[in-house]
Amino acid sequence: MPPSTDPFYAGLGQAVRIGTEMLAALIVGGGLGWLVDTYLFSSGPWGMVAGLILGAFAGVRNAYRMAQRWPK
Amino acid sequence: MENPLHPFELHPFVHLSLLGVDISLNKAVLMMWVVVALVAGLLIAAGTSRRLVPRKLQSLAELLVEFIRGMILDTMGREGMRFFPFVSTLFVFILFCNLLGLVPGSFTVTSQIVVTAVFALFVYSMSIVVGFSLHGVKFLGILVPSGTPAWMLPLMIPIELVSQLARPLSLAVRLFANMTAGHTVLAVLFGMLVSMPFIPAPLAVKVGLFFVLVVLIVMRRRIVASAGIVGLILWWCLIPVLLSIIWIRWLPFVVSIAINGLEVFIAFIQAYIFSILTCVYLGDAIHLHGHEERAH
Repeated sequence: MPPSTDPFYAGLGQAVRIGTEMLAALIVGGGLGWLVDTYLFSSGPWGMVAGLILGAFAGVRNAYRMAQRWPK
Repeated sequence: MENPLHPFELHPFVHLSLLGVDISLNKAVLMMWVVVALVAGLLIAAGTSRRLVPRKLQSLAELLVEFIRGMILDTMGREGMRFFPFVSTLFVFILFCNLLGLVPGSFTVTSQIVVTAVFALFVYSMSIVVGFSLHGVKFLGILVPSGTPAWMLPLMIPIELVSQLARPLSLAVRLFANMTAGHTVLAVLFGMLVSMPFIPAPLAVKVGLFFVLVVLIVMRRRIVASAGIVGLILWWCLIPVLLSIIWIRWLPFVVSIAINGLEVFIAFIQAYIFSILTCVYLGDAIHLHGHEERAH
């Protein structure tokens, strides 16, 4: 059976995706900030702080964009 | 108890190297060959008959083609049909890796993050190449959501950059984590099946209880008829208790079978999610900003 036919399971699949989406954005944001701190400016923790905040924004934005594409 | 992570360990059977690169054969490589051979064999067998009224195998293959076609048309539109071979290959390969990994003694290729990360990086770099080849430098506009005021740009561009770079990571981690977690749960349950202690009781008592159990199951209808709802509740309470005294390991056994069924469902849903996200990313590259108006 194609998994999208049952609306309950399709919705479950969509919901499971959102968690990973937010986590991945947070990890990438923090990682980029850490890279900037360590290899570019040696700017203490501030790069990572800014990166984590950006990552949180990006995660929410990804989740929002995904919810916009929700199947009817 | 055995380490529940041992199903994910890989040991090379044959040591090989090509120009200093280690290409040893191990279980994962063999499993991928099996998957490729099986998928190719099944689909070629399904495609050769070409009946107007399809038989079983052919109608399954037609179902698959219709399903992937619908997925591509929903996310990318007609222009996306040129990616049909790529997306369907990805879907079928991941689906069969997930499903064959559930066979006891086999290996789940998609539980190795190397495999899923290579898939995700390939998909993501493909979407970037497609975007730059279709739109040229204008493809950098994907970092600017449509309708952003100019003073927001210094904030929006880093956010969009991070959210773009998070795509391959989330794609890779999702598939890997789902497969690994499910198989770890199964391994723990099967470990309990071996290591759970029996309830100490003399063999004669256990044999006697077994006969009581058989009698209870055979007489179920008569007990319910004579004692009504109380008899039914009593029957349902007594059966697990008797079964536990005789053989406590029925519990992890039943639960592991149920989890195995759940894993079959997860195998489908994860293959579906991976391929539909591939479609979404490629669709973003094809229609720059086009999707936000088309979204319902």
